[in-house]
Amino acid sequence: MHFDALLLSRLQFGFTIAFHIIFPSFTIGLASYLAVLEGLWLATRNELFRNLYLFWIKIFAISFGMGVVTGVVLSYEIGTNWSVYAAVASPVIGPLLAFEVLTAFFLESSFLGVMLFGWKKVGPGLHFAATVLVALGTLTSAFWIISANSWMQHPTGYVRLPDGALRAADWMQVIFSPTFPYRLAHMTLAAYLTTALVVGAASAWRLLTDPNEDESCIGLKMAIGMFAIAAPLQVIAGDLSGKQVAQLQPAKLAAIEAFWETRTEQPFHVIAIPDSAHETNRFEIAIPKLGSWITAGHADAEVKGLKAFAPQDRPPVGIVFWAFRVMVGLGVAMFGLGAVGGFLVWRGHIARARWYLRAVVAMGPAGFVAVIAGWIVAEVGRQPYVIYGLLRTANAVSPVGAGEVSVSLLGFMVVYAIIFGVGALYILRLIALGPTPAPQLDTEPPPRGRPPGYALAAAPGEPEDGPGTRSGEAQP
Amino acid sequence: MTRSIIEPPPEPGAPTGPLWKRLGWFVGLAVGSAVVTATVAYLLKALLH
Repeated sequence: MHFDALLLSRLQFGFTIAFHIIFPSFTIGLASYLAVLEGLWLATRNELFRNLYLFWIKIFAISFGMGVVTGVVLSYEIGTNWSVYAAVASPVIGPLLAFEVLTAFFLESSFLGVMLFGWKKVGPGLHFAATVLVALGTLTSAFWIISANSWMQHPTGYVRLPDGALRAADWMQVIFSPTFPYRLAHMTLAAYLTTALVVGAASAWRLLTDPNEDESCIGLKMAIGMFAIAAPLQVIAGDLSGKQVAQLQPAKLAAIEAFWETRTEQPFHVIAIPDSAHETNRFEIAIPKLGSWITAGHADAEVKGLKAFAPQDRPPVGIVFWAFRVMVGLGVAMFGLGAVGGFLVWRGHIARARWYLRAVVAMGPAGFVAVIAGWIVAEVGRQPYVIYGLLRTANAVSPVGAGEVSVSLLGFMVVYAIIFGVGALYILRLIALGPTPAPQLDTEPPPRGRPPGYALAAAPGEPEDGPGTRSGEAQP
Repeated sequence: MTRSIIEPPPEPGAPTGPLWKRLGWFVGLAVGSAVVTATVAYLLKALLH
C-alpha cells in the first residue's frame, strides 16, 4: 500500500470524523432525554427526575464541548486537505454548513448557558424552555449535516458551470435530496439508541452494586423503553434507506451484499470473504433468494452485481460488507435488549436480573460502534466519488505533500488520544459516582457547650442529656 | 469539598423573582453565551488569516 497524500488525507478525515461523530450521536439523544426528564420533574415534582437531570447535564456539557472541539477541525480540514472539493462544491455545501452554525449551533450554545447557570435565576418554566431549545438545536444540527451529506450521496438541484464549479439551481432540491428523509430518520434513531445504551449501561452498572437505587432503576426502565420503541423503528428506517441505495447507488448495494454477478434470486450472504482481485467471494455462508427479497422486495428481482461496474467505479468491498454486518448485528442485539428488558420490567424483576444488567453494561458502547460502522458503509460505499457521480475523491484532494499530511495526521492522533482519553475517563468517573445526590453536610457549628470531636456534637438536645460532660469525658 | 458550578433548581416553596427579572436573566445568559461562542469563532478565524 502506497501512502500518498490522497490516502493519508482520507485516513486523516476518516480518523477525525470518526472521533467527532461519537459526541453528536450521544448529545442529540441526551439533550432530548434531559428535556424529557425536566418535563417529567415539572409535571410530577418527583425528585428522582431532578436528580437524574442534574447527573446527566454534567455529562452532556462535557460531551457537547468535546463535540465542538472535534467538529471545528473538520471544516478546516476541508480547506487544507480537500481544497479542490471546496472550490467545486462550496457554493452548494457551504450555505448548508453555514445554516447549521447559524440556526443550530448558536441555538445550542446560547441556551446551554441558561441550562447550566440559570435554573434559580430564570425559574423552572424558562429553564425548561432553554432545555427544549437546546434539544431542538441538536436535532436542527442533525438536519443540516445530514442534508449536506445526502446531497453528496445523490446530488440534485444544481447546475455545473463551464469552469467545473457547481451552483445551486433549486435550494429545495438541494436541501431535500431524495435520500435525505430516510437518512435523517436513520441517524436520529441511531442517536437516540446510542444515548439509551449509555444511560442503560450507567444505570445497570449502579444497580449491580445497589439494586435499590431508585434513580438508576428509573434510568434503566426509560432506556429499555427507548430500545423497545426505537430499535424496531430503526429496522424499518434502515430497510427503507437500503432499498433507496439499491435504486440510487447500486454499486454501493452490491458491495454491502458482496454481489458480484447481476442476477435474479440473489442470495443473502450472512458471512463472506470478498476477493476483489478475483471478483468473487472466497468463502461464504448464504441464504438462497433472500438477498433479492431484502434489497428489491421480491425473490425474482434482478439485482446488479459488482461486475456490472468498471473496476475503477467500484467501492472497496470487504470493509463495506463487514461494516454493514457489524451495524446490523448490533442493531439486532439492541432489538433483543429491548424485547427481553420489556419482559423483565413487566415481570417486575429488572433491578435484580444480574445477567441482564451485565448484558446492558456490555452493550453500553454498542451505539457508538454501530454509528461509526454505519458511516463507514455510507462513506466508503460512496467511493470512488466524494460527490456521487460528479467528483472523484482522487480529484478532490489538495495539492499537498504526503509528508505534510503525515505530520498533521500524527498530530491529530496524539492530541485526540489525550483529549479523548481525559474526557472519556472523566465521564466514566462521573458515571461511576451515580445520580444519587451526596448527603447535605450540616455546616452549622455544633451547639455551644459541646467540644469538637464529641461523637454527638451536632445532635439535637441539651449536652447534659447525653452521655458526655462539658469537658467531653465519657461516663462509665 | 468542591462546589458544582451547575445551578440546581430552586428549593420547593422558594419564592420566585418577578417575571421581568427572570426574563432579563434568560436573555442575558443566552446573549452572553452566544457572544462567547462568537468571540471564540472570530478568534479562530483571525488565527487563520
